[in-house]
Formats: sequence, C-alpha cells, structure tokens
Amino acid sequence: MKQDDAFAADLLRGHTDTIVLGVLRRGDRYGFEIYKTIRDATGGDHEIKEATLYATYRRLEKDGLVESYWGDETQGGRRKYYRITDAGRAVYRGNVAAWVATRRIIDSLLNVTELEAKESQQ
Amino acid sequence: MNAMNPDIHRLLDEAFTGIEMTPDAQDLKEEIRANLVSRVEELEASGTAPADAARRAVAELGDVRELLGETDAVSARTGAQAATGYTALALRNKVRPKPGFVVRVVIWSALIVVGVTLATLGATGVLPLPVGPVIAFLGVASTGLGLLVGDALAQETTANHPMPQNRASGYGLASFLLLYGLGFAGLVGLKALPVWCVVFAALGVIAAIILFAFLGATQTNRHKAWTRAAHADLPPNRFEQEPETAARFGIYTAVIWIVTFAAIAVLVFTVGWWWAPVAFVAGFAAMMLLLARMMFGPRKSR
Repeated sequence: MKQDDAFAADLLRGHTDTIVLGVLRRGDRYGFEIYKTIRDATGGDHEIKEATLYATYRRLEKDGLVESYWGDETQGGRRKYYRITDAGRAVYRGNVAAWVATRRIIDSLLNVTELEAKESQQ
Repeated sequence: MNAMNPDIHRLLDEAFTGIEMTPDAQDLKEEIRANLVSRVEELEASGTAPADAARRAVAELGDVRELLGETDAVSARTGAQAATGYTALALRNKVRPKPGFVVRVVIWSALIVVGVTLATLGATGVLPLPVGPVIAFLGVASTGLGLLVGDALAQETTANHPMPQNRASGYGLASFLLLYGLGFAGLVGLKALPVWCVVFAALGVIAAIILFAFLGATQTNRHKAWTRAAHADLPPNRFEQEPETAARFGIYTAVIWIVTFAAIAVLVFTVGWWWAPVAFVAGFAAMMLLLARMMFGPRKSR
C-alpha cells in the first residue's frame, strides 16, 4: 500500500502548478487557503508539501502566471494573496487539455476498464 | 480571531536564524507568518495544545533554506536561457497565426473599409443616400472593428497568451462603441445629422472610455514566461543609468508646459481664443525636441 501512495503522490506533484492555477481560478487565495483546498480535496492522503507550494508560488509569479498582493489584515501578520493572470488562465487551459488527452492514452494503454477500477477499489 | 499564539513568532525567528535577511527572504518570512497563524488556529480548533500546535505547524514547513535556495536555481536557469538572445528565443517559441484567423481578419478589415467609405461618401453627399443607410454603414464599420479587436486579442501569439474570451469581447465592444461614437460625431460635423445627435456620439465615446478604463484597470499579465525573462534581461534605458538626466527631463517638461499654458492664456485674452492652438503646437514641438535630445543625445563620458 505504501508504494501506491508514493505513486499517487508523484503523479500529484507533477501537476502542482496546474493544480494551484486551478484553485486560483475560483478566486484570490493566500498560501494556507490554497494548501487547505488541496489537502481537503485529497482527503488528507498524499498531500502536496507546503515547501513545494512556496516554491510553486514563486515560480508561477516569476513566469507571470500569478500576481501577488498583501492583504490588509491588522492582526496575525498580513497575508500574501495570489491572483491568477490572463497568462495563467491560458496556461491552465492548455495544461487541462493536455491532461485530458494524456489521461485517455494512459487509460487505454493500461487497459483500465470500469470493472478493473471497481476491483481495485475493493 | 482568538488570541495570537506567541510561540509562532519565536519559532519562525528560529527557523530563519542564520539566513541573510534580503528583501526576498523578508517577504517569504512574512508570507509564512500569516500562513502559520492560520494553520495554528486550525490545529488549536481541533484540540491541539497551543505550544504543540505552533511547534507542529513550523515542523511541517521543513527547512526554510530550501525554499530560498529554490529561487536561485530558477533564476540561474532563466538567466542562462536569456543569454541565448531574444531573436533565438522568439524563433523557438514562434506561434504561427491560424489560417482561419487570417481569413477572418481580411473580412473584418474589408467591413471596416467598405463601411467607412460608404458612410463618408453618403454623409458628404457624393452618394445620394438617406441618413438611415449611412448610420447602418457606420454600424458595419464599427462591427468590423469590434470583431477585429476581439478576435485578435483572443489569439495566441509568439509573445502573448490568448486573452480569455470574455475580456477579449469586452475590448471588442469598447472599440465598437468608440468608432460608432466618433462616427456619429463625424456625421454631425459633416452636417449630415442635426446637432442634437451629438448626444449619441457622446454616449458611445463615454461608454467606450468607461469600458476601456475598467478593462485596463483590471488587466493582468498575458506575456509568456520567456518574454518576461527576456525583458528582465534587456539593458536599462538611459534614464535608469543616468538619474540626473531623468531629473533634468522632468524640470524641462514642467517649464515647457507652464510657458505653453501661460502663452495660451495671453493669446486668449489678447488676440482671441482661436490662436490658442498655435501655442499648444509650439509647446508640443518643443516637447518632442526635448524628448529626442534626452533619449538619444550624446552620452555622458564615463
């Protein structure tokens, strides 16, 4: 079972940029909100590490796919919010299209049928 | 928000000990601080003791040094990439226009040309057209321009990602309103329409300005990563290299325009308001000469 987790975590990590862009598409978020959204979606299993996310934010910002701004919280430190840019939206759409196409190929190469998917669940 | 856990700040300071506090590191530290506060609040809400919650949240972070080291690796990579030259990068990232788009551009342009030409001929009385069709031709030209702008912005180019559909349509609509408004003003100017029709012109132009202002204010980045890296690497312009030249430019600009407006006032009160544009043109010409001299003038010897 440990190996399954590592495999899934690897797959997930490979799409961190797109996942973060996908979260930001729904609205501006600060680091912890993004982290929490991802963690909740994965049900707490093989989550993406916070350290990975900080590196992702910096890379995305450098590439102009997101912009950041400081919130105006008075208590507990100001939050750094991220906003997706038009470039970010375009990259996101492209990556999603690539993912959908790739998923179909992998499904067919791995002979994933609905039956097998059900068996592995049990 | 409940009372802040004081341990967070102590532990965060500890995590950052020995790290040189560059603006970048300071920025990251503040970002992490707010996230830690949220995480600790969450842990405390689920029943963890405050001291444990703070320790656990900081431990989850891992080594801060790694977070800062990562960016150096990234910048080194993009630096090497930029070294290969803008032209080579542009060539490698080249995006050809879609054939369908090229055909559409020709059609939209034809609409603009035909619409503007027929509307102008009708309005000047060269073609015996009633005013209805003239307005319709103006509409055809404006529609052409709107579609041209919207369609062009929604395309992916070598340097830019495509603009999202809605925003591109917004720019298209604003262009449509602007041309229609200006066209109405032109028709009124050519006496093809009564003077009160200038209201339509004003409505169109004002709506276009509002829309453009909104779109401009909410505009976000659309440049591709390689263009951004290349721009960051461009040699700085003269004003960045020689701040005193920039200061001189600012003072000269102020002087030119103060003199121009003083001259306008004098002309208006002495010889009449129709002489005011002369002063304006003179001021503008002086401004252009100054700009040329400042940007391309002889370099200061090093």
